[in-house]
Amino acid sequence: MTVFKTFLQVLKKNKFIVIMYTVILLIFGNFSMQSNQSSTNFEASKPTVFIVNEDKEEGITKDFIKYIKEKCDMAEIENSKEAIDDALFYEDLSLAVYIPQDFGKDFMEGKKPEITIKKRDSYYGSLAEMLLQRYIKVATIYQKNIKNEDELVAKINETISKDIETEVTTKIDTSALTKAARYYNFSSYSFLACLIYIISLIISTFNEEKVQKRTTISSYNYKKFNRILLLGNSLYAFVLWILYVVMSFVFVGPTMASINGLLFIANSFIFVICATTLAFFIANFVKNKDSINGIVNVIGLGSSFLCGAFIPQEWLPETVKIIGHVFPTYYFITGNETIAKLEKFNIDTLMPVIVNAGIVIAFSVVFVILTNLVTKKRRKV
Amino acid sequence: MFLHNFKYSLKTLFKNKMLIFWTFAFPIILGTFFNMAFADVINKEKLSIIDIAIIDNEDYQNNKIFKTAFESLSDENSEDQMFNTKLLDEEKAKEMLNKEEIVGYLKMQGNDPKLVFQKNGVNQTIFKYVVEEIVQRSSIVENISKDEIKKQIEQGNFAVDAESIVKRVINETSNTEIEFENTANKNLNYMMIEFYTLIAMTCLYGGILGMVAINQTLPNMSNKGKRVAVAPTKKGTIILSSLLAGYVAQLLGLVILFAYTIFALKVDYGEHTGLVILLAMIGSLTGLSMGVAVGTLSKKSEGAKSGILIAITMTGCFFAGMMGVTLKYVIDKGMPIINKINPANMITDGFYSLYYYNTLDRFWFNVASLGVLCVVLITISFLSLRRQKYDSI
Amino acid sequence: MNNVIEVKNLVKEYKELKAIDNLSFEVHEGEILGLLGPNGSGKSTTINCVLSLLKTSKGSIKIFGEEMKPDSYEIKRKIGVIFQDVAVFDELTVYQNIDYFCGLYIQDKVTRKKYVQDAIELVGLQDFVKFYPKKLSGGLLRRLNIACGIAHKPKLIFLDEPTVAVDPQSRNNILDGIKKLRNDGATIVYTTHYMEEVEILCDRVIILDKGKILAQGTTEEVKELAKIDEKVTVEVNNLDSSYIEKIKQNSNVDEVTYTDGVLLVKYKEGKNNLVDMVEFLKKENIKYNKINSEKPTLNDVFLELTGKELRD
Repeated sequence: MTVFKTFLQVLKKNKFIVIMYTVILLIFGNFSMQSNQSSTNFEASKPTVFIVNEDKEEGITKDFIKYIKEKCDMAEIENSKEAIDDALFYEDLSLAVYIPQDFGKDFMEGKKPEITIKKRDSYYGSLAEMLLQRYIKVATIYQKNIKNEDELVAKINETISKDIETEVTTKIDTSALTKAARYYNFSSYSFLACLIYIISLIISTFNEEKVQKRTTISSYNYKKFNRILLLGNSLYAFVLWILYVVMSFVFVGPTMASINGLLFIANSFIFVICATTLAFFIANFVKNKDSINGIVNVIGLGSSFLCGAFIPQEWLPETVKIIGHVFPTYYFITGNETIAKLEKFNIDTLMPVIVNAGIVIAFSVVFVILTNLVTKKRRKV
Repeated sequence: MFLHNFKYSLKTLFKNKMLIFWTFAFPIILGTFFNMAFADVINKEKLSIIDIAIIDNEDYQNNKIFKTAFESLSDENSEDQMFNTKLLDEEKAKEMLNKEEIVGYLKMQGNDPKLVFQKNGVNQTIFKYVVEEIVQRSSIVENISKDEIKKQIEQGNFAVDAESIVKRVINETSNTEIEFENTANKNLNYMMIEFYTLIAMTCLYGGILGMVAINQTLPNMSNKGKRVAVAPTKKGTIILSSLLAGYVAQLLGLVILFAYTIFALKVDYGEHTGLVILLAMIGSLTGLSMGVAVGTLSKKSEGAKSGILIAITMTGCFFAGMMGVTLKYVIDKGMPIINKINPANMITDGFYSLYYYNTLDRFWFNVASLGVLCVVLITISFLSLRRQKYDSI
Repeated sequence: MNNVIEVKNLVKEYKELKAIDNLSFEVHEGEILGLLGPNGSGKSTTINCVLSLLKTSKGSIKIFGEEMKPDSYEIKRKIGVIFQDVAVFDELTVYQNIDYFCGLYIQDKVTRKKYVQDAIELVGLQDFVKFYPKKLSGGLLRRLNIACGIAHKPKLIFLDEPTVAVDPQSRNNILDGIKKLRNDGATIVYTTHYMEEVEILCDRVIILDKGKILAQGTTEEVKELAKIDEKVTVEVNNLDSSYIEKIKQNSNVDEVTYTDGVLLVKYKEGKNNLVDMVEFLKKENIKYNKINSEKPTLNDVFLELTGKELRD
């Protein structure tokens, strides 16, 4: 009981840390949730464009603008150079298009007035450029033969409105599942930070020389003592896990109640077990309370950056992914990514998830064995 | 006296493992992580070759327009290659689609194309636009050729060579290339912000150095300070020399970090080397004065004060975009006041404006903000430092 | 006799607490003055006020005949202070620590080098000059703490409980060192709550409690203040209470107690008491194990004056 009381005291004293990492998860969750709404019908990805029009909004200019507005999202920024430049830099804008003065008039006269753009070299930037080029190209071709502006506009629209049949095979809401995967991927950071920090503090409090002497000579055997501590830590980890699962329901919504959602939850439970054992293992190495903060940051941030908790795994360079394999977080996140794509549930499709979870469990077992070895050795000295 | 104290202050600061970790090692470790994780992000955002499949049926083989278009777009030797195309039967295509080895496949049904995707996305959208464009181009050719033929017939030329007209029109259409002039600054790598926040973090962590340095001289903060206070030395001299030691240690840390980011991580700070140095110096001065303020105003333990400084710094860096560059932009755009008073952002934004902007207005604004913050913090600390006797120690 | 320190009507008030209540005393040149009192009696506060670290509410403080102010650098130069808590840099070696603090007083490098060496010898840390404080035992650390405070050979030294939690060997070393300093001509103000040290070391004693002086004078003078002059203790089993009454009838006896088989008799005057007691025990045929007689200690004086033990 005394062990447990001390446990609560340490936790209470350091609640700020737990709150901080949870808030970071909240903020991150809130941000990454703003990805595109999705459906199971085909929807074109729309680049975000800003139009600076110095021409009169009539005739072909008006139609061009209408076309852009239809095919692209309009950036909600003010019309200033700085706002446009900032938006472009931070990818709030894929492309800004500058329509010069007298564009419509010059165009009808066949002068090929020059349109300038500002774009980034990204998928969306290129897509936006392609869209713009298409309209101008069609218009340029027709303009050679059609001199009447209304007729030209009608002809352009007839041509570019040609659509083709498109089918999307997936029957699941991939964007909600992607959200869930992102949330759980990021949660690995918060779990690691909160668990390592608090558990290390608690263990180092118990391991402090005077206390340690007392526990060594008391009737506790070291395995039993470790087990009691592990139990207390597990309880704390469990409460934290419940909290984060509840938060995921708030962010992601009903999708969490689907089989995919439940798999996410189960997968994160296995990860929490592993993180707890890892924290326990690290805690037994920590000699100095001041160093805990450093260890938490290096291990927490390191595994998160290298395993894809902050940015999607597919964006990581190959070598980094290979390095990532040394952390259990890597398998947890790979598991999440697989779950996000699961449509059919049978032994074949679930196998990758099970294998990854198995590796995470194997890590936990190794951590438990190592912890026991370390503490056993220390007690003999 | 100044030198004596300066020398020993430096010695104690460099021997303090916690200080060395937070101000020297941690930024380098974090920078390495950033570099590893973000190295490919910008490249992966660029349009790359898209894996697709086309159902190899008679309708496709007979459609010259589609066939030639996709052959040229899939030409591995061309600079304009867009697709990596496989000709497959539908069964196999579906299988590859399920495994996400291709983003989608095209199936010709008579003259009408049909696209099948597994899910929505940018690559899918691009694939669709290309197919649309082919359809539209044939429509243009058809339209113009018809008009042309009609015109010639109206002009009384009944021996129309329809084939040559179509050929000419096709030629004309495919020769019409539209290019826009891209006037955007080429320095668009937003991952640089991550590294700028790293510099900001290091500048502000210097506050810990300042805090430790000044607390060693204050009798109400440490026992060592009591010793200093009963010695026949001017308080101002000791404080200044201790702080200078803190500042020198901090700048040394920054020099190492700059060298590492420039030579190992290839971080681009723009072209104004002198201004980069100025910004780093005033940034770390801000960090130092923050440390002095926390050190003199709070009566908590040294560990607790470092905790406060670390928390302020990390929160500041978080809003300045360290955990996600987007956050900086969202705050800048939506709640600018937060980042206008956030020293981590002042430093980050200063580097950003040197890297991205051609004008220096924004840079000077940031430098001025840092200057004001320094003055405020130092004034507040000074009121407390001026005391020679204490109510309690 | 010159007064090195003169404190007059010193008052130090915290919000509600009067930490020092109208204190006046002098310290004479060349003496070791013991400042005695239980924890929280105001010893450290007094020293901090004298050193001009703390604001005082009232009163005047003169050192070497001049008023003490925070910028009295000439006075400060002649003072050495060893604070209660160890105040050294963990990041510096023994030698560097002493050199740093000495350097705040002595600018000249050659002189300083010699002074630091002297200080190391005085406290007996020759074998540890390259050690970092974390590697030193409690006693050695205290010695380093002292060396840092006296390396510049001050004329006036304040020692605030330098022997708390120190092993006997280090304690003897420290006490010897203090005597040496006095023999070299320094005046010493020494606070402690260890009676034995005061009796061995101090020329004069001031007993403080709750910020007030309860007694002051030479150790002998202070001991006079005790009403009793001799204590006799007898180890004896099962003493009948009637005997206690008999002992009390002696007009010289002040107080008799009998607890846990130990009989304690306090006498007002100290002549032939032990002999009387032995004769009494023989006469009454009481068997006893051990009997001895003690002169009163400062602890007894303190107990008399405040009703509590000094060492709580």
